[in-house]
Amino acid sequence: MPDASDTLLDAPPCASDPTRESPVVESLPKEPAFRHSRLQRLADRWSHLLFLTCGLLVVALIGGILYFLAARGAGAFLPLAGNTDKVLTLKEVFLSADWDPNSGKFGILPFIAGSLSVTGLALLLAAPTGILTGVFIAKLAPGWMKTLMRQVMDLLVGIPSVVYGIFGLMVVLPWVSGKWLSDSPAAGFAVSAAILAVMIVPTIVSLSTDAFESLPLALEEGSQALGSTRWQAIWHVLIPAARPRLLTATVLGLGRAIGEAMAIQMVIGNNPQWIALMRGATDQTPVLRFLFTPAATLTTELVQELPNTAAGSTWNNLLFAMGLLLYLMTMGIILATRRLGRQRNA
Amino acid sequence: MPAAISYRPRRLSRVTDRVMRLALWGLALAFIAVLAVFVGAILKQGWPVLNLGFLTRMPETLDAGGGIKPEIFNSLYLVALSLAISLPIGLGAGIYMAEYAGQGRILRFLRLCIETLAATPSIVLALFGMIVFVQMMGWSFSIRSGAVTLALLNIPVITRVTEVSLLAVPRELKEASYGLGATRLQTILKVALPYAATGILTGLVLTAGRAFGESAILVFTAGTNTSQTFPDFRLTVPGETLSVHLWYVTSDGTLPDAREIAAGTAAVMIVVLLVLNLSVRFLDRFIRRRTR
Repeated sequence: MPDASDTLLDAPPCASDPTRESPVVESLPKEPAFRHSRLQRLADRWSHLLFLTCGLLVVALIGGILYFLAARGAGAFLPLAGNTDKVLTLKEVFLSADWDPNSGKFGILPFIAGSLSVTGLALLLAAPTGILTGVFIAKLAPGWMKTLMRQVMDLLVGIPSVVYGIFGLMVVLPWVSGKWLSDSPAAGFAVSAAILAVMIVPTIVSLSTDAFESLPLALEEGSQALGSTRWQAIWHVLIPAARPRLLTATVLGLGRAIGEAMAIQMVIGNNPQWIALMRGATDQTPVLRFLFTPAATLTTELVQELPNTAAGSTWNNLLFAMGLLLYLMTMGIILATRRLGRQRNA
Repeated sequence: MPAAISYRPRRLSRVTDRVMRLALWGLALAFIAVLAVFVGAILKQGWPVLNLGFLTRMPETLDAGGGIKPEIFNSLYLVALSLAISLPIGLGAGIYMAEYAGQGRILRFLRLCIETLAATPSIVLALFGMIVFVQMMGWSFSIRSGAVTLALLNIPVITRVTEVSLLAVPRELKEASYGLGATRLQTILKVALPYAATGILTGLVLTAGRAFGESAILVFTAGTNTSQTFPDFRLTVPGETLSVHLWYVTSDGTLPDAREIAAGTAAVMIVVLLVLNLSVRFLDRFIRRRTR
C-alpha cells in the first residue's frame, strides 16, 4: 500500500542524505530482505535530525555569544535604546591609556597592555619549560616516570582557578614580599604570571608530549646513527621537526592564559592606574617596578567591576565590549591553530 | 655500547648531553615539587579549620565561625543539574559528529565550533549567561541561571569525549550489527554507545570536576548568596557554590575569619578533586582491563 506518507518516509529526509557518505552502509545491499517495523524505520530516519540539532545548537551558541556581547558592547559606542549614559568614540576607548570612569575617561589600553604583559610573562615561563618537559616525558623518562608526570599534569590541570588564587594570596604573595621585597606588597605581574604559568603548563606539556611521540622514530635513530648525542638529537632534530605542533601547543596555552580571570584577580592587585603608578615610583629599578606594581587586566577588570556598575551605564556596556574583545581574541587563537595545523599537513 | 662504534661525540657534546639530561630530570622533579608544595600548603592551611562543625554549619555573613553546609550542597546540585542539561546535548552532538557527519565540510565546521566553545574563556560565558538568562529571561541570580550557563562550559568537553569514544568502537562490531539487520539508530544505541560508555563516563567525571571548580561563571549567574533553608532544591534561589564562596569571602572582606574559611574551603575542594581524580584513574584501569 504505497500511500503518500510511505513515499515520504522512503525519500531521503534532506538533500545530503548522510547514509550515502558512510562506507559501512554503502557496502550493504540496497534492498534488504528484512524490513523493520514502521516505527523503527521512522525513528531511524528522523533520529539523525535530533543529533544534528544538538550539533547546530553549538553553532548557534557561538553565534549567540557573539551577537549578545556585541549588542551590549555596542551600547558604549552608539546611542541605542535603553542607553542612559554618554556615548564614546572608538578612538578614546581603544587608543587611550586614560582610565578614570568617574570623570568620563574610558581608555582601556591599560587593561589590554596588562593582559598582554601577564600572558606574555606566563608564556615566557611556561612555553620553554612545558616543551622541555614534553621532550622529557616522550623521549627520556622511564615508564614509571612517564606515568607519574602524566598524573602530576592531570592534577595540576584539574585544580580550580580559585584554589590557585588562594594559594597565591595566602602562600606566594607573603613569601615573595618577605623574602625579596623587604615586606612591601608583591601583588602584580610577576606573581600572577608565575601562577598562570603553572595553570597553563599542563596544556603545553601534554600537547608537546603528543607532538614528540608522533614523530617518526627514524628521525631520532638517523641522528644518533650519525653520531649525535641524545641531547643533540633532541635539540637539532626533534624540536625543529615538531615545531609546528609545539607552536600550536604554545598558542593554545596562550588562549587559556588570556581568558583566565579569578586566579589573577586574586593576586594582581586590581589597579587600573598601574601605568601611572609604575612611572611615579622611582625608588626601584624599572624591571622590579614592572614586576611588582599592582596592575589590572581585561579579565580582572570584568570580575572586579561587573557587580558594581549599573546596567545600561557606559562603564557597564564597555565591560561587555571588553568581553567581546576577549571572545574575538579566542576566535583568532583558534583560527591561528587551524592555520598552523594546515601548515603541518602541507 | 657495542665495540664496533669507533666514533665518540666530542667531549663538549658529551658534557652538554649529560648536563641537559640532568636538567630535564630536574625540571620534571620541579613540577612534582610544585604540585606537592601546592597541595601540602592548601591542606596544611585548611586542616585546623576542617571539622564536622565547619562542614555542617550555615555560613555567617558578619560574624566568625560560619560553616559551608549549603555551599557543599549547592556545588553538588549545580554540577548535577548542569550535567543533566549538557549530557543529552553533548551526547547528541558527539553522536552526530562521529556517526553521521561524514568527513566533509560539515564535520570540519562543527569541529571548529566545538573547539571555539571549548576555548572560550569562562568569564565570556559568564557575560553571555548574565545577559541572556539573568537579565533577558528574568531568572536573576539563581540556581537555574547558573546551571544552564555552566552547561555551556560542559557541552564541548562532553561532545569531544563522545566523538572520540565512538570513533574508537571497532568497525567490525558495527558491521556485525548491520549484518544482523539492525538499523543505524539501533546500532548506535545498542552497540556503539554501550561500548563507548566507559570512555564517556571517564570524560563525564572530568567534566564534573571542572564544573565543580568553576567560579567565574557562577559568580555572575548563580550569585554570591545562598538560601537560608537547607536543603533548598528550588531552582529560583541564588546558589553560592564552594568555589564562589572561597572567592567571595576573600575578596569581600567583611568576615573576621575570611582567611580561615577560605583555607578550609580550599582544602575541602582539593580533597574532593583528589577523590574525583582517583576515581578517573580507577575507571581508566577498569576500561583497559575490559578491552584486554
